[in-house]
Amino acid sequence: MILLEIQNRIVEDTLNLKFNNALAGNKPDLVDVSIADFDGVQYHISNPDQDRTKLRVSISLKFYKELQEHGADDLIKREYVAAQKDRVTVIFSTQFKEEDDVVIGKEFVECRRHQQQAPQVLFSYKEPPLELQRTDARTGDRIGYVTFVLFPRHIAPESMDNTINLIHTLRNYLHYHIKCSKAFIHSHMRAKTADLLKILNRARPEQVKDKKTISLVSRI
Amino acid sequence: MPETHQFGAIAIYTHSWNSNRSSLALSSSSNIVDLYKVSGANYQKVNVLSAHTQSVTGIDWAPKSNRIVTCSADRNAYVWTQLKDGSWKNTMVILRINRAATCVKWSPQEDKFAVGSGAKAVSVCYFDSSNDWWVSKHIKKPIRSTVTCLDWHPNNILLAAGSSDFKARVFSAYVKDVEEKPGQTIWGTKMPFGNLMAELSSGGGGWVHDVCFSGNGDCLAWVGHDSSLSVVNANSLSNIVTFKTSYLPFYSCVWVSLNRLVAAGYNCEPMLFEFNGKNIKLVKKYDTKEETGGDNVISKVTIHTGTKEQCKKFSTTGLDGMITVWDIDAK
Amino acid sequence: MATTLRPYLTAVRHTLTAALCLENFSSQVVERHNKPEVEVRTSKELLLTPVYISRNEKERVLIEGSVNALRISIAVKQADDLEKILCHKFMRFMMMRAENFFILRRKPIEGYDISFLVTNFHTEQMYKHKLVDFIINFMEEIDKEISDMKIAVNSRARFSAEEFLKRF
Repeated sequence: MILLEIQNRIVEDTLNLKFNNALAGNKPDLVDVSIADFDGVQYHISNPDQDRTKLRVSISLKFYKELQEHGADDLIKREYVAAQKDRVTVIFSTQFKEEDDVVIGKEFVECRRHQQQAPQVLFSYKEPPLELQRTDARTGDRIGYVTFVLFPRHIAPESMDNTINLIHTLRNYLHYHIKCSKAFIHSHMRAKTADLLKILNRARPEQVKDKKTISLVSRI
Repeated sequence: MPETHQFGAIAIYTHSWNSNRSSLALSSSSNIVDLYKVSGANYQKVNVLSAHTQSVTGIDWAPKSNRIVTCSADRNAYVWTQLKDGSWKNTMVILRINRAATCVKWSPQEDKFAVGSGAKAVSVCYFDSSNDWWVSKHIKKPIRSTVTCLDWHPNNILLAAGSSDFKARVFSAYVKDVEEKPGQTIWGTKMPFGNLMAELSSGGGGWVHDVCFSGNGDCLAWVGHDSSLSVVNANSLSNIVTFKTSYLPFYSCVWVSLNRLVAAGYNCEPMLFEFNGKNIKLVKKYDTKEETGGDNVISKVTIHTGTKEQCKKFSTTGLDGMITVWDIDAK
Repeated sequence: MATTLRPYLTAVRHTLTAALCLENFSSQVVERHNKPEVEVRTSKELLLTPVYISRNEKERVLIEGSVNALRISIAVKQADDLEKILCHKFMRFMMMRAENFFILRRKPIEGYDISFLVTNFHTEQMYKHKLVDFIINFMEEIDKEISDMKIAVNSRARFSAEEFLKRF
């Protein structure tokens, strides 16, 4: 899977199944499904109070508590949209877990061989881009900013939904990609380490199998 | 053709033969000394001497009295005597050192032995019959680092000691309680216990790995970590002859005639050198690779058949767990 | 650049061969102890003069000898941030498995990316020339490995980015 889907496939499938089942007039089953998703998000689909005619979908977010403390969604998901006559600029901020992620992420965002129809993508790191300079945008070692410059064709009515969906999944997509790259590096290192160990073990002499000596007779 | 025997894949630190080479004492990097009965190429383990608690660093088998002295990193030394039933009994040695013992050597008359140690001292040991143990006197000055090697002068009095302070020294080990006052030698006339008779350096900064008096006691040879082999004649102590090689350092050396000696070590192949009083020249290398397949560091060279004045065969042990007996005239 | 690699590795090989003449040597300072002198540094006369071999500012090794142990520290080429991270990750990965590597030091010497500590017990149990081979091989492989990983990460990034942008 290269691209992330914007919905959770299992949640969708489960719900569709239930709805279709209900529409067909079948007797509803008892449901209790737990689903884990990217970044520690968990879904739980169940029947409230064992009532088979109702479905409950719960979402657990690791960081929900923090969100509540800050009282607003937009603290981490801060987006900035500036509209001009011929373009719309969308800027995301995103926080990286560690320094290494920033670099791997940068490799991703900085790929400049863009598709013709794609919007221009810019990446800035530590310092927010020019557009945000006079706002209270957060800065810091592990904060990065991704800027999309959208042209009229992206916001034409027929492609608008697609564009918005894509832009919203970018943050997850980026982090997902970073994780994949790290997993790749890890398995690579594991293989290489095993190789090197093999070479080192060649330095050990093989045990002499054919021992001519006879075991000791008496021990003092 | 040199005879070889592989004891296993364990490094051998040192070895020593009994007087007629029918038995061999061997220490691998362990706290145990193995005794082998040897006939031709057949080595049969017959006994183990196990009293030490850390790795055995030195073994010397006295040819006349058939006693074995061993020393170890556990700071102890034991003298082993064989009982009628063939087993071995040890006698305690009061070394009075608080660091590892590194090397041990019987005096020619076998009434004394010397033990070098990491305590920057040499313990000269002699028997105390009233307590049935061996007691020791210390030579300390001016040794500034671990004593790595020892050798006795044939007069039973003088003792050469090499140290990791880059010096080889000759001391008097005259113990007036047990022996006659020595006559004068060319190394000097005054010989109270511990007297420094000579302090020698190759001029380089190498740890001294081995020292050896020539058969008549007139010359002293030593090898150092600066890849050098040095010889001095007591008649002109200021005139030290040093041969700096381009090989890896020698670790052990022994005289095989009055003017020739064999040295071996990290370079893996034993070499025969000749000293003519003015300089040292390489006579030949004993080829290890072709004849024995051995390509590992040699930890010890000893005389197998013959004496320092006239050696016919010598033996080497190495970190590859192999012993090799060489004919001195081998190619 | 490639032309300087051979002499660089040859110099390291010769220095290692000469410095790996180790012996069993008990501590002069602590009773019944046997410590690598190059680490404890308690007796000055037991240490050899350190040898510093450098191919350029970034690629260099430090070889410190002593009577019973040798320490070799290697600084690996790191041209950019990504190489730096890959190198750091890889070295850390290996050092966490140091017990399998026998001669690998758990922490590098300051200023270097990785250090090996070879004691007399290692040279007694393993062939010295093969130990040297291993270290030289390690130095050769590590550069190649890092640049391989870099290329792979880059092309992976490019591919994913294109897939994403294609959807617009």
